[in-house]
Amino acid sequence: MTLQSAKQTQSATDQQAILRPTPRQQMIVRIKMHYSLQIGASILIAMILMAIFASFLVPHDPYAQDLSNRLVDPIWGSTGTWDHPLGTDSLGRDYLSRLIYGSRIALMIGFSAMLISGVIGTILGVAAGYFGGRVDAVISFIILNRLSLPVTLVALAVVSVVGSSLEVVVVVLGLLIWDRFAVVLRSATLQVRNMEYVAAAEVLGASFPRIIFKDILPNISNHLIVVATLEMAHAILLEAALSFLGMGVQPPLPSWGLMVSEARDFMFFKPWMITVPGVALFLLVLAINLLGDGIRDVTTPEGRN
Amino acid sequence: MNYRKYALTGAALMGLTVLSAPASAGKADDTLKIGLRAELQNMDAYFNTDRVGIIVARHVWDNLLYRDPADFSYKPALAKSYKWVDDVTLEFELRKGIKFHNGEVFDADDVVYTLNFVSNPENKVKNQRNVSWIKNAEKIDPYRVRIHLKKPFPAALDFIAGPLPIYPNEYYAKVGPEGMNAKPIGTGLYRVVSVEPGKEMVFEKNPDYFAESPKGQPSIGKLVFRTIPDTNTAVAELMTGGIDWLWKLSRDQGDNLKSNPNLVVTGGGTMRIGYLQMDAAGRSGDHPLKDVRVRRAIAHAINRKAIVDHLLPQGANVVNPACYPKQMGCTNDVTSYAYDPKKAKALLAEAGYPDGFSIPFDAYRNRNFAEAMIGDLRTVGIKTELRFNKYAPTRDNVSAGKSTMNFMTWGSYSINDISAITSHFFKKGPSDLARDDDVAKWLEAGDTSVDPAVRNENYTKALKKIADQAYWLSLWNYAYVYAFNKDLDFTPTADEIPRFFTARWK
Amino acid sequence: MLMFAIKRLGLALLVTFTVSIISFSLVRMTGDVATAIAGEGATEADIEIVRQQYGLDRPLSVQYIEWSGKILHGDLGQSLFFQRPVSEILAEKLPVTLTLGLLALGFAVSLAIPLGVLAAVKPNSLIDRISLIIAVLGQAMPTFWFALVMMVVFGVILRWLPVSGSDTLAHFVMPAIALGYYATPAIMRLTRAGMLDVLSSDYIRTARAKGLDTHVILFKHALRNAVIPVVSLAAVQLGFMLGGSIIVESIFSIQGVGHLALISIERADFPVIQGIVLVLAVFYIFLTLLADILNGWLDPRIRIS
Repeated sequence: MTLQSAKQTQSATDQQAILRPTPRQQMIVRIKMHYSLQIGASILIAMILMAIFASFLVPHDPYAQDLSNRLVDPIWGSTGTWDHPLGTDSLGRDYLSRLIYGSRIALMIGFSAMLISGVIGTILGVAAGYFGGRVDAVISFIILNRLSLPVTLVALAVVSVVGSSLEVVVVVLGLLIWDRFAVVLRSATLQVRNMEYVAAAEVLGASFPRIIFKDILPNISNHLIVVATLEMAHAILLEAALSFLGMGVQPPLPSWGLMVSEARDFMFFKPWMITVPGVALFLLVLAINLLGDGIRDVTTPEGRN
Repeated sequence: MNYRKYALTGAALMGLTVLSAPASAGKADDTLKIGLRAELQNMDAYFNTDRVGIIVARHVWDNLLYRDPADFSYKPALAKSYKWVDDVTLEFELRKGIKFHNGEVFDADDVVYTLNFVSNPENKVKNQRNVSWIKNAEKIDPYRVRIHLKKPFPAALDFIAGPLPIYPNEYYAKVGPEGMNAKPIGTGLYRVVSVEPGKEMVFEKNPDYFAESPKGQPSIGKLVFRTIPDTNTAVAELMTGGIDWLWKLSRDQGDNLKSNPNLVVTGGGTMRIGYLQMDAAGRSGDHPLKDVRVRRAIAHAINRKAIVDHLLPQGANVVNPACYPKQMGCTNDVTSYAYDPKKAKALLAEAGYPDGFSIPFDAYRNRNFAEAMIGDLRTVGIKTELRFNKYAPTRDNVSAGKSTMNFMTWGSYSINDISAITSHFFKKGPSDLARDDDVAKWLEAGDTSVDPAVRNENYTKALKKIADQAYWLSLWNYAYVYAFNKDLDFTPTADEIPRFFTARWK
Repeated sequence: MLMFAIKRLGLALLVTFTVSIISFSLVRMTGDVATAIAGEGATEADIEIVRQQYGLDRPLSVQYIEWSGKILHGDLGQSLFFQRPVSEILAEKLPVTLTLGLLALGFAVSLAIPLGVLAAVKPNSLIDRISLIIAVLGQAMPTFWFALVMMVVFGVILRWLPVSGSDTLAHFVMPAIALGYYATPAIMRLTRAGMLDVLSSDYIRTARAKGLDTHVILFKHALRNAVIPVVSLAAVQLGFMLGGSIIVESIFSIQGVGHLALISIERADFPVIQGIVLVLAVFYIFLTLLADILNGWLDPRIRIS
C-alpha cells in the first residue's frame, strides 16, 4: 500500500533469493525497513506512556482552576511563563496538564469502543464467513442496515436522548462502528474456511470452538489487527467530534475535542488554543493509522487492495 | 468519468472564489444586517416562545401600552389612555387614525378580536401564561375597550405592554395563525418584506407609522436578520463585515473584538438571573442536599464573585434574593452567602460528609460557568456528574423531580414583577424543588393582592426563608455583550429586547 | 442481469423497511417531547396543551402505526418546531446539502484520481510520496478542526472566502474541502491500486509492445478500467458525506440537512430527525444499489456470485 512497502517487498524478495530466511526473520526485516510503521509505533507508544504516567508528568492538577490566572499565554507568547508552558485555559487551568490527561481519554475511548465493536464485528464476520448460507445472508443484511444509517447523526441522536458521558460515548460508538470488522473478517474467514486444514480438522472431528480459535482466528488475526487500528482511530475522531458538538465527554474531563470546542471563543484571537489540542488529536490518529498501514504491509506484503 | 473535467471544475471554483469579496453592508445602502443565533419557529407572535419572536413582535406590531426600557414606566401606545375601573377591569381609550400594513384601520374590534382569540384556550397559543389571566375583552364603543380579568392580577399592565401585540381582526380572522406566519401584518415600525425560515428575514421601514407612538419613528431603511447559529462563525462574519450587529457574545469575545477599529463593543445588565436550585424536598431520592447544612455549604463553596468578576461581562452582579433585585416585590434584605470554602467544609463535616460526596448536576447553558462551579465544589470535596443537555430535556428533568441540583437561568419574560419568577418556582408547581408550605402561602398572598404594602410584606417573608434555607442560590444577573458596526448608533436595554427602531446611522 | 437487478432491488426495499423501524424507535426512546415543543419558559399548562394537540398522550404503538402508514404516502409527518410538513422542510434543505456533498465529492475526486494515477504511473517517485502524505494527513485530520483552521486562515486573516452561508459557489469552497478531504485517501488508494493492477495486466503490456503512445495507453485504456471500482466507491462516499455534513454545515452556518439534523436533535423535534435518518438511509441504499448494478453490468463475475 505504501511506497515503503513497495520498496521493502522488493528488497525482501531479493534477500529471499540469497538467504531464504524464516518468515519471522523476513517480517523483522520488513519492519526494520518500514519507516512509517516505526514512526507511527513510536508516537503511539509515547502517547500511551504519556497517558499511563500522566499523573507524574503534569506540572499542575489538570482540574485546578484559578480564575484570576486565566488565559495566560504559552511560553512563546508575551505573558508566557515556564510555570504554564502551554498557558492556561479560560478557567485558569494548566493547558499542558489538560493536554496530557486528554491522551488518557482519547486512548481509553478509542480502545474501549474498538474493543466493543471488534467483538461484535468479529462474531458477526466470522459467523457469516464460516457458516455461509442463511447465516451469511442474515448477517450481510444486518451489515447493510448498519451501513445505511448515518453514524454521526445516529450517535448524536442517541447521546442526546441517553445523556452524554464517557461511558455512553464508548458504548454508542462501540455499537455503531463494527461494520468494517464484520465486512473484512467475513471475507477473510471465507478464504480461510476453504483451506484444506480447516476441512481436515472438521473431518477429524475437532470441536467448533477449537476450529474457530485454533484454525480460523489465528489465520485472520492480521486482518483483525489492521481493522482494529483503523477503527480505533475512527472512534477517537468520532469522540472528538461528538465532544466538539457538546454531546460527548462532559467537562471537567479534558477531552481534546472538548478542548477545541472550549477554545473556539478564542480561535480568531489566540489561535494556538485550538491548534494545540487539534494537533495532539491529529498526531494520535496519524500514529495509529501509520501503525495499521504498516502492519498490513508487513504481514501481507502481497495483499494490496 | 474524465478527470480533466473535475480539474476544470476545481479551477473554475477557485476562480470564483477570488472574485467574490465579502459583501459590504451598512450605512451606504441603509441596510442593517443583524446576526441572530436562533431561527424563529413561527412569525406569529402568539405561536412562538423565542426571544427572536419577541424582538420581531416589537418591530412589526404595537401593543396597547409600551414599557419604557429606561425607567420601566408604562406609556400609552395604541391606547391613548387607560384606567383601572376596579380590581378586575381595565379600560383603554384607543388612538384614531392608525393603519395596519395592509391598510386595515385600527379600532376596538382589532383589540377585542385579538385578546379574545388568544385568551381562548381552544386556540392553543404557545404561552398560556401570557393570556390565562384574561377573562375576556369587551368593546364599549369603536375606540374604547375593557379587559376583564379572572381575578386581581397586579402584573396585568406589564403583560399588556409585553407579550400581547394587537392584530388586525379582519385579516387574522381570514388567514389565521398560518397566514400570519406566512405574511405578518401589524401596525408596527417595520413591515415584513420576506422570510426565509432559518436563513433570513427582511424588514423595511413603515413610512406611515403613527406619529404619536412612544416608540418614536424608525430611522434605518432596511433590517436584514440573518440566522448564524454558531457564535464564532457569527463573530467571523462581524469581523469581515458580513453582518453589522451581534449580541450575546462572551466576555472574552467582546474583549477581543474591542481591538477591532471597525466595531463598537458595549453591553449591560439584564433581568435574567442564573441560579442553582437544590432538591431540598428530596423528590429525586435520598441525597445529602436534603440537609440544610449541605445546601449552605454549597452556597459558601461557590465563588460567585470570582465568576462574575472574571467570566461575566460588565453589568453582571452577584444576586442574593430569588428574584431580580429591581423587580417589584423583590428585596436584597436576605441572607447572603459569602465565598468561604473553610466554612463550607466545616458545614459538610458537621452534616456528616467530611470527605464530601458525589451528586448529579444538571445544566443547559454557559458550560464554562457550570465548569467553574464544578471546580469550586471540587475544592470542598463535592464531586459532580455534569449532565449538560439542551434546555428542553433539562427542564423536563427538573419538572419531573429528577434533578438533584441544577444550574439554570430565568428571564422572567422581561416582566418587572416578582410574580414572574419567585411565584413560578416556589408555589409547589412542578419546578418547585423546595415545596415549602409557608413560602407558597406567602407568595399566593402577595400575588393576589393589589396593595403594595401587603405584597411587599409577604414577598419579603418568602424571600427570607428561601435564602435562609438555601433552597435556591441565586448566582448573578446576566449581562450581554453587543458588538456592532462603528457607524451604528445603538443602545442596549435591560429587558433583553434590542430595539432596532431606535437605532440610526451616525 | 435483470434477475440480479431485481434481487438487489428487493434487498434494498427490505433494508429500507428495517431502517424505517430503526429510525422510528431510535427517536421515540426520548422522554417528554411536549416540553421540547412548548419551549423555554413554558408552564405545565402550556405543555399539557401541546401534549394533547400533538397526540403525544397516545400509546407508542398507535403513534408508530400511524407514522409508518403515512410514510407510504410520502408524508413524513409534521415538524413539532416549525409546524410544517417534514417533507416540505427537507425539500428545502436537501438541495443545499446535495450541492455541498457533490462539490465535496468533486473536490475529493479531482484531487484523488490524478494523484492516484500519477502515483501508480511512477511508483516511489516524489509524486507518489506526496500523494501518500496527502492520504495519510487526510485520514488523520479531524474534520471540525480542519474546518476551523480554514475559517481562521482563509476567512478571517486572508479574507479570500466568505465564512458562512450558502448563497454563492464561493460559500461552498471551504465546506466542500473540509468535507471532501476526509474521503480523498480512500479514493486515491483505490485509484492507485487499480492503476497498478491494470498497468501490469497483459493487454496494457501488449499495447506498450505495439508501441502505442503512453498517454493514449494511460487515459484511453488503463484509467478507464481502473476507474470502475472508484465510481462505486465514490457513490458510497457521497452517501457518507451527506450523513457527515452535520459538523461542516454547523460550522459554516449552511442551512442544509446536516444543520437541520443537529438543531432538531437539540429541540427533540423527532419527526424531523426520523425523516432525516430515513431519507439519508434511503439515499445511501439507493446509491449502493446503483453502484452494485453498475458493477454487475460492468463485471459479469459479480452477478453470478
